[in-house]
Amino acid sequence: MGLILWITPGIAVLLSRIVNNTKGLHAISVCASFVLLLTAGFATNRVILYDTLAYKLFGEAFFIDALSIIVLDIIILIGFLVAVYSVGYLNEECRHEKISQKKIKFYYSMMYVFMLSMIFAVTVKNIGIMWVAIEATTLASAFLVGFSNDKRALEAAWKYVIICSVGIATALVGIIFLHLASIDVVSSSNALQWDLLFDRAENLNSPVLRLSFIFILIGFGTKAGLAPMHTWLPDAHSQAPSPISALLSGVLLNSAMYAVLRILAIVNRNLGDSSFTGRLMIAFGLLSICAAAVFILTQRDYKRLLAYSSIEHMGIIALAFGLFTPLSIFAGLFHMINHSFTKSMLFLASGNLLQKYGTREISGIRGLLKTLPVSGTAFLLGLFAISGTPPFSIFASEVNVFLSLFYEKHYVLGGVFILLLAFIFGGIAVTLFRIFYGEPARGAAIGCGEINRPGAAVLAALLVIILATGLWMPDLLKGLITSAQMIMIGGLSI
Amino acid sequence: MEHYFDVLSVLILLSSFVLVSNKRIHAYIKTFRLQSALIALTAGVMGFEDVVNDGNYDVLVVCAIIIALKVILIPRLLHRTYGNIEYRVEKDFFFNIPILVIICCGLVVFSYFSVSNIGALSGLHINLQVVNSFSVVLIGFFFMISRKKALGQIIGYLVIENGIFVTAMFSTQGMPFIVDVGIFIDLITAVLIMGIMVIRINDQFESIDVNKLKNLKG
Amino acid sequence: MISVAYFIVQTVVILLAAPLVNGIIKKIKALSQKRKGAPVTQLYFDLFKLFKKGMVVSDTASWIFRAAPYVVFATSLAAALLVPVTTMIPSQWHAGDLILMVYLLALGRFFMMLAGLDTASAFGGMGSSREAMISSLIEPSILVSLITVGLIAKSTDLYRIMEHMKGVDAPLIHPVYLTAFLALLIIIIAETARIPVDDPSTHLELTMVHEAMLLEYSGRSLALMELGASIKQLVFITLAVNIFIPNDQFILITGAAAVFLSLVIYLIKVILIAAVIAVAEICTVKLRLFSVPNLAALSFILSFVGFMQYFVLGR
Repeated sequence: MGLILWITPGIAVLLSRIVNNTKGLHAISVCASFVLLLTAGFATNRVILYDTLAYKLFGEAFFIDALSIIVLDIIILIGFLVAVYSVGYLNEECRHEKISQKKIKFYYSMMYVFMLSMIFAVTVKNIGIMWVAIEATTLASAFLVGFSNDKRALEAAWKYVIICSVGIATALVGIIFLHLASIDVVSSSNALQWDLLFDRAENLNSPVLRLSFIFILIGFGTKAGLAPMHTWLPDAHSQAPSPISALLSGVLLNSAMYAVLRILAIVNRNLGDSSFTGRLMIAFGLLSICAAAVFILTQRDYKRLLAYSSIEHMGIIALAFGLFTPLSIFAGLFHMINHSFTKSMLFLASGNLLQKYGTREISGIRGLLKTLPVSGTAFLLGLFAISGTPPFSIFASEVNVFLSLFYEKHYVLGGVFILLLAFIFGGIAVTLFRIFYGEPARGAAIGCGEINRPGAAVLAALLVIILATGLWMPDLLKGLITSAQMIMIGGLSI
Repeated sequence: MEHYFDVLSVLILLSSFVLVSNKRIHAYIKTFRLQSALIALTAGVMGFEDVVNDGNYDVLVVCAIIIALKVILIPRLLHRTYGNIEYRVEKDFFFNIPILVIICCGLVVFSYFSVSNIGALSGLHINLQVVNSFSVVLIGFFFMISRKKALGQIIGYLVIENGIFVTAMFSTQGMPFIVDVGIFIDLITAVLIMGIMVIRINDQFESIDVNKLKNLKG
Repeated sequence: MISVAYFIVQTVVILLAAPLVNGIIKKIKALSQKRKGAPVTQLYFDLFKLFKKGMVVSDTASWIFRAAPYVVFATSLAAALLVPVTTMIPSQWHAGDLILMVYLLALGRFFMMLAGLDTASAFGGMGSSREAMISSLIEPSILVSLITVGLIAKSTDLYRIMEHMKGVDAPLIHPVYLTAFLALLIIIIAETARIPVDDPSTHLELTMVHEAMLLEYSGRSLALMELGASIKQLVFITLAVNIFIPNDQFILITGAAAVFLSLVIYLIKVILIAAVIAVAEICTVKLRLFSVPNLAALSFILSFVGFMQYFVLGR
């Protein structure tokens, strides 16, 4: 049953190459993502009951445990919402004659290849295959980033492909060293299987493992958007079409971070304590938050600002996992979920903005709440959410991160962290809040009212989700995150 | 037998030096082809040894894939890509070639100090081979950043992948087979995509000088 | 007594073999161009003719101009005596090591450069400055590659190095020796003024380096300069041949017959390397002057990589 997760996007790609009717393409996409949603629900149920979900096909190649299921659920849920939003978005683009029907076919086929590669990355046990899948996500999304084919989009796509490919090649060096570290411990037919490596982690060769962690952190950190390897992120996320930006920001960054987490678990188990990895992750995390804070102040393009905010949140996640206490791991996992939903909502809302106003400049937009009531409200509340205001979910996870910082007596780090977050809130407020006031410029030409009906529904749904998770933690979710946390710690006595 | 691997690893390292000291696209592709042929030879010898000792055909299949992909297919793709673009010789560099070569020597020394004496490597010969292969990876990185044209960056990426493959082969007798095949599929797709992008960039920007890609800043 | 006899034999062999190498290279080049070309012994006839002719010396030239040919010839021959020509003679005398050899040749080159400047002709000065640039770029490679080989053999005496190399089987399969050998091949091309560094058969201002410095010479001086240059060429070829391919283990007889046999084998190896140089000349074009540093850099990294291999593999 779980293999449907692999097969469905494949079928969606094939069908979207064959079908020529726009309505048919939209229907295929929404149905495919709905099927994925149902399967994910089924898989989550199985994981909660039985701890892992694995099939004996190809030597247990398909493998989901609690950590994977969290990331997988985020991927599929946001994928579904983006598919629904894309229907309205693409129809509007077609109406304005910006893209042809062939391009819609291309969009859907590439989007499902992208989804397939991301699902693949989190459902395999072999670290080498996970690497192959993550490289495939870069390649699959390259043309999506360059979708509009103008100068800026091409430049963004080129930077994206080159920097991420080089980064992922660095991660491959790390994986080779991981293989070297495990060569006496695990037989060559089972090489690079995560569960075997995790069980026998104490017997791995420590110096080589340390070396491999450094390379993997730098390599997959490039893909996850950690500074100083983040330079592709603002360009790629701002030039891509908005639903794709939502996928990139909300989902892809998580998958790259997931790869780092798997290796982090092994290395921490081997070394016995988390000081080596912790220092590195905290350093990269703080550097990312700083870089984001500095650049947010001077942005004039709202999508780029949202991209820098993604860098900031990835930094917070890295910080949380660097601390590696039970509370901070819980907070990190929860933050991954919250950031995905909030950021996707923001990018989808910004897509509506872009279609309505036709400009990416912040100064070109005024009187948002009048012209786009639903998207405007979602955007405003989303901005509050992303900078960590209660009662939204990001506040809940960020509070847990500072609590864990202060419990571990890292007072200076905690202080710096809070200062940077305040700085970022100030930056977002100064640059963005003015778009909500005033009269819309070119008033008559713009007109009031939502264009993208399905999109508006999606935004409303996401808004409800982030409010709900901020106020109340369902037991199901708590149980799932706690099992993932147990996997990562796996017996380390912290 | 160890001596043969030593010599092959030195020749691979030397081919990457030859790559850095070249100025013409045609020469880049030819040198890449030579380097891939040397790597295929190494894989072939190692595979042959494997077949004789263990009866495993994996490494030989990988050798065949390398020949098909890196020696034949990818250079042809690159030739076709650069056939669409009117540029033959790089005329300007950030540094001149002797300085580039000396920086590469520095990279070899650096790789020696970082990678040699990894406890898990048994013996001096494997140490030498891993130092040489890791230097190829570093020289590939350096090649990418020292070229101003987009095609140079693609070739730098290919050299990095070459170096990684050789490091894997010398230190751990190759990655698991399915991972190797996955890596090659990724590589060929990456080259195809990068090639298509270079052609599009050439159409939009009228040149493939990466310094001209400066619209997005800040 | 034996050493003096051998000394004389080596001198004679070198003096006789040096012009032969030039002849062979020219013949191979001519055959590749589908010409019959000059006979292989042409340089002997040329030297003989030049020795009989008188000299024309400029009024503005100083003593350097007159002394330079003798210095060049003497230093070349002295350096040639420091290099083993046969592999059968054990190292009996230690008159000098590889550093002395390299710098004897440098002394000769220095005088040649001064002589080029001495007559105040434009071509001479230009040739000298170009030669200065090329030789200063090539010098690190020579020293690094030879000293790497010496480090392995634990001596800088070329005879002892040769003894050590006789004990290494198939040295060219060893990474250190292979890179040093390749570096030495490039050095041969640069030091003996062959394409792609310099064209030995041209007198065009654009392309000549070595010829420019010899332009003012005539008669006996010219003969000595030419002979000195060919002896220098032979010295480098002997280095390449006898240090890296001393495959004389199969000679089981001893005594004078063994020495004779090893001399014959040495000549065959020299002819082979001369053929390689000729093929290199045929297949490449002369580099732009400012591209010569690229070739020198390549030779330097070859020797440096050889040194690194030695360093990693174990001291």
